[in-house]
Amino acid sequence: MGKQRVRGISRGSYAWRIAASLIGIGLLLNGSLRMSDDVWPVGPLSQYAFSPAKDTTIVITRVEGLLADGRRIDLPLRVETAGISRAEIEARIPEITTDPSLLRSVADGWSSRHRGEPPLWRVWLVQDQTRLVDGRVGTTRLVELAAWELPS
Amino acid sequence: MSMLRSVGSWFLPVLPESRVAVLRTVFYLFVIIDMHLFVRDPIPLSRHPELYRPLMIERVFHLPPPSLPLTLTLYVILMVCCLVAAANIMPRLAGGVVAAAFTWWTAIGMSYGKVDHDHLALVVALWVLPTVGVIADRWRSTERSAQAGWALKCIQIAVVFTYFLSALTKIRSGGWSITSWPESSILLWAIVRRPHGLGQFLLPHPELLHLMQWFSFTAELTAVVVLWLRGRALLAAAVFWMGFHVFTLAMLYIHFAPTAICWLAFAPLERLGPWLRGVRASRRASRRQRAGRRSARHPVPVLRDQAVDGGG
Repeated sequence: MGKQRVRGISRGSYAWRIAASLIGIGLLLNGSLRMSDDVWPVGPLSQYAFSPAKDTTIVITRVEGLLADGRRIDLPLRVETAGISRAEIEARIPEITTDPSLLRSVADGWSSRHRGEPPLWRVWLVQDQTRLVDGRVGTTRLVELAAWELPS
Repeated sequence: MSMLRSVGSWFLPVLPESRVAVLRTVFYLFVIIDMHLFVRDPIPLSRHPELYRPLMIERVFHLPPPSLPLTLTLYVILMVCCLVAAANIMPRLAGGVVAAAFTWWTAIGMSYGKVDHDHLALVVALWVLPTVGVIADRWRSTERSAQAGWALKCIQIAVVFTYFLSALTKIRSGGWSITSWPESSILLWAIVRRPHGLGQFLLPHPELLHLMQWFSFTAELTAVVVLWLRGRALLAAAVFWMGFHVFTLAMLYIHFAPTAICWLAFAPLERLGPWLRGVRASRRASRRQRAGRRSARHPVPVLRDQAVDGGG
């Protein structure tokens, strides 16, 4: 492969590239050491980066719905089934508990994707709370955080 | 001055441009896949303006809040420009549009409360690939340049930093302590919340989970070393990290596909073009040989025979 040629590079091109690399690395270090998720894409890489204690309570947030035929079912929080994912709802728990009508996003998202099902009457924001006991899985209980009646 | 020069040649090694040409094809096609499998929610999310909380990047650039027409337009622009850029056509223009549009698209996906961290290397790649400019002969290019080397080095740094920075974040979140994350119940927590796959078999063994936490934390903290590896050692590191991703996928259903694909920036992809040409040439040669044997057995002129491989 001795015939490979090398393309030239100007002094200016060389300099801005080095400057850009150093600034980029600086921003990334600053993001991880000092900033929050707000500065994405140079924020801290904080997925699974916290340290739950041996006796922590593990929480799974769900939305349940009461159908017109009397069934109470789980409305899976995924984009394909409800138009919104669990993480998005979890991030909004305080807002939803003060204004349960925000659950409309899940109710509408689910209804528009399940037109064959009976209409939704009521939705609940609930949590499965699992206690850890000395680093091992303990008991689980169901807690209701908010409820919203759909306007008929 | 010589130190400055050695810093320069580390950030701007002279590398084959064909590697960048191949990466463009792979990454721009991957962006299309990504928009359908991973960051696939901007369009449905844009129906919920009440849940939108713009990130700093969206506030600084005064980006309008996502609406259905806006996300659909972004989608169409990305599809078209990805296909053009994947063919190495108008790499600066099409690549630049993909970089900006995909950064916005992904930012929208992360503006509803949940921010993911698997797109760092891909976003960096999309911003640096256009800077290499036009690569004459694309995959067949025999030219090398510092421009190509810099783009590749940036992607490599971003890949390795994805691991290294996550270790730093773990130290920070544990109150600047090295031991708090590896000794915590984080994996147990993750498995309870994502009760699928392999993880469930590990639930009764918290000691084993702690051991795995120490192992992955050490690997992440020392990942920067990869930037100085070559040859077989580099290959071993790449195989190790691919194994790591397969394992977390099997255990927790967490994939880091956008990071994993960026490992290709370490691979000698410049060999792909000549290899493909070799395969094609040998196939053509064996076809010609077969045709030659056949015509020897049948000494009758075959109609339209000259159309076969007219170019050769």
